[in-house]
Amino acid sequence: MAKNPVRVLVTGAAGQIGYAIVPMIARGVMLGPDQPVILHMLGIEPAAEALNGVKMELIDAAFPLLKGVVATTDAQEACKDVNIAIMVGGFPRKEGMERKDVMSKNVSIYKAQASALEKHAASDVKVLVVANPANTNALILKEYAPKIPEKNITCLTRLDHNRALGQISEKLNVHVGDVKNVIIWGNHSSTQYPDVNHATVTTSSEEKPVRELVANDQWLNIEFITTVQQRGAAIIKARKLSSALSAASSACDHIRDWVLGTPKGTWVSMGVYSDGSYGIQKGLIYSFPVTCEKGQWSIVQGLKIDEFSRGKLDATAKELIEEKSLAYSCLN
Amino acid sequence: MAKEPARVLVTGAAGQIGYALVPMIARGIMLGADQPVILHLLDIPPAAEALNGVKMELVDAAFPLLKGVVATTDVVEACTGVNIAVMVGGFPRKEGMERKDVMTKNVSIYRSQASALEKHAAPNCKVLVVANPANTNALILKEFAPSIPEKNITCLTRLDHNRALGQVSERLNVQVSDVKNVIIWGNHSSSQYPDVNHATVKTPSGEKGVRELVADDAWLNGEFISIVQQRGAAIIKARKLSSALSAASSACDHIRDWVLGTPEGTWVSMGVYSDGSYDVPPGLIFSFPVTCQHGEWKIVQGLSIDEFSRKKLNATAEELSEEKALAYSCLS
Repeated sequence: MAKNPVRVLVTGAAGQIGYAIVPMIARGVMLGPDQPVILHMLGIEPAAEALNGVKMELIDAAFPLLKGVVATTDAQEACKDVNIAIMVGGFPRKEGMERKDVMSKNVSIYKAQASALEKHAASDVKVLVVANPANTNALILKEYAPKIPEKNITCLTRLDHNRALGQISEKLNVHVGDVKNVIIWGNHSSTQYPDVNHATVTTSSEEKPVRELVANDQWLNIEFITTVQQRGAAIIKARKLSSALSAASSACDHIRDWVLGTPKGTWVSMGVYSDGSYGIQKGLIYSFPVTCEKGQWSIVQGLKIDEFSRGKLDATAKELIEEKSLAYSCLN
Repeated sequence: MAKEPARVLVTGAAGQIGYALVPMIARGIMLGADQPVILHLLDIPPAAEALNGVKMELVDAAFPLLKGVVATTDVVEACTGVNIAVMVGGFPRKEGMERKDVMTKNVSIYRSQASALEKHAAPNCKVLVVANPANTNALILKEFAPSIPEKNITCLTRLDHNRALGQVSERLNVQVSDVKNVIIWGNHSSSQYPDVNHATVKTPSGEKGVRELVADDAWLNGEFISIVQQRGAAIIKARKLSSALSAASSACDHIRDWVLGTPEGTWVSMGVYSDGSYDVPPGLIFSFPVTCQHGEWKIVQGLSIDEFSRKKLNATAEELSEEKALAYSCLS
């Protein structure tokens, strides 16, 4: 007996990340190969024709799992009854714009979208904010959608997490599938802290700590961190466009692990509503190591935080607190 | 015990279709969820930096099935040991170019790629030509790679086939997965013939003929055919870019069904080397209805061809014969 379709919303669906993510969702990469989906795609008015082009292509691809497509510029129609919401839409930084300008634009967008989601989405909708500034957009969304459980509002740091896994796999010349339990702490920005202190590599015999195998603390504490923090810029430099493919894929990983559960002994990184764990101020959307079971994430507790890491965790928290203030000042 | 990785080549990999296709391959959509892959990505030197950006993103996405990426502008390195070759690279038509100009450019590209594949690919390499003019590029490739079995050289008409399924599903308001056995005959061009005479829809009371259910021969013989033939242009008009998403997805379907077999009672459309079936001149790459088993395709025989269809088949065959002559004149 086939499952009932799940409604998945993608905002900013006419853009690059949207174009990469919708075929992934339609093929079951996000929710499993036996889970039919109905895609809701939201775009702004200027993108209406392009959005319709994406809808046409989704029909043309004859995806067996795709049971319907709603392509609209109307937020209410887009949000109606959705079970999963991937918020890719946002105002991109343009040349000459100050940080406050970008923040201001995005804060109004996320305030409005919060309202639409709260009113029209399924009551247990799971939300993933991708558009930057991801953590703060998610925080604004949370503040203006008080009926959506705070645990259901997250932001994407899985891309950074996967990038960290990739860098380790390249450094050690092992397969990325054998590396696990890196952590991305904090903000999806250049203050993020990619932490390998608890990361391991599965070798033929056992799991060995990454720090021991790399045997180069200098590299791990500096170049590795910088590479992961600045990877977005490196992709833009090479492609002249930002990292749509890997962002889309990581968004699928984030949702899949959240909904279907993380493998035993493995955690992932998600930007989630801070509860004070690890001495991080409550009330921020902060990336933590989490495991997921039965559709719920929970922060991995009890991991040792050394002095170096403490400094990094606090610095990224500080940036998030500043962003939060800036966001609130834009709203007044 | 995990399978040995399959090496999959994508040419033109830095372009739009490549960017859509590579994450699909890396997720197992082309060869199955348990088949590890090594991607070989080829493009021209002006695209080298962008190509490296794609490789970086593939590393960043931490795909469990992806066991390696070779990104190169060297055709020998690209072709070495490949089991599957998806030829997306080609010279696009630019404004002011005559058909002969496009043909000339592409014919030289496919002649030299033929040579490289023949010398360096794995024996029994399966080839799918996507770049237009797909059928004729595939024919040139076949002619200049005589040691590649002719049955291993195909071109993509699965996109048109899927588009036809999509149009029927929309017309009848049924799930696209319940529609099957349309046929695309001939050239992947506007002379293609989308034929529903043997197509069926799964209904609660069994499989019913599409023609019977649509009950509108004028539409099926007129508008339906034009829509499918011209869908590529409709996508370009809406998106301002061509149909990368659906082309990539259909390329995965083509290879998957070829390698893993078509479902019982279902055929698909593939551009294959004509053996004279249905009185189509032998020696063309012509799209036929095929079933696949044990890694081999076989033309579905014995389908009745009415007068209307006969004319359409002849017209598209004629166009292909003209293209073949034009291609050979470019080579001389």
